[in-house]
Amino acid sequence: MLVFTRKRHEAIMIGDGVEVRVLRVGRDGVRLGVTAPPQVAVHRREIYEQIREENRVAAQAVASADAIAAELRGRLGTSASPAPAHDAGDDRH
Amino acid sequence: MIATDRATGADPRRIETPVGTFDIDPQSVIHFHEGLPGFESTRAFVLLSSPAIAPLHLLHHVSGPPASFLAIDPRLVLPGYRAVLSIGDRRRLGAGDETALVWLALVTIDPDQGPTMNLRAPIVINPERMIGFQTMPHNSLYPLRHPLALR
Repeated sequence: MLVFTRKRHEAIMIGDGVEVRVLRVGRDGVRLGVTAPPQVAVHRREIYEQIREENRVAAQAVASADAIAAELRGRLGTSASPAPAHDAGDDRH
Repeated sequence: MIATDRATGADPRRIETPVGTFDIDPQSVIHFHEGLPGFESTRAFVLLSSPAIAPLHLLHHVSGPPASFLAIDPRLVLPGYRAVLSIGDRRRLGAGDETALVWLALVTIDPDQGPTMNLRAPIVINPERMIGFQTMPHNSLYPLRHPLALR
């Protein structure tokens, strides 16, 4: 692991497109600003880990596909399978 | 569908899944360039439907390590579900401003709640380019497990 000492407003570069800058140093935390190309996903690690674990659990659900589907159809009162395509009306930020 | 001679072109191919056998053609393959969290090396999926699992769909691997998920249109359960996609996410999908995207939530069975869907990190697919990924909006208030209580 590379270890750096950085002061407020100082940054490190990762490759030629990712910059991590120290914005504020507090008693309980450090505020970082990350600048990265749009194709580079940036996440808090714990969120990524949480979703990874959830995906692993989700992969187990396939074995119960018929039962879940039957229950859902019962609640829907139809056996129709609407196409999933739709415009999501996305927000952009 | 006519088989093509493109690099990835191949005849329709038969795959076995936990919910049955499907014939798929190369045009129906969806590319996940980073895989899914936990399944980072599985980069190619197909989205399968069948009467037995409707209204669910099966997001099933066609190459790489096995990965198979039940998925559902989140708005079937929560009509007001409003997904958020950043400009960067949209660019990763190769989607223009007007591109209609496909949104899916992965289904989990919660020991207490029964079947739930992941609204925190939905799957988004650009059907024009057949590119997909699992998006993790930074400030989403939607839960990882939303009960599949249809009305």
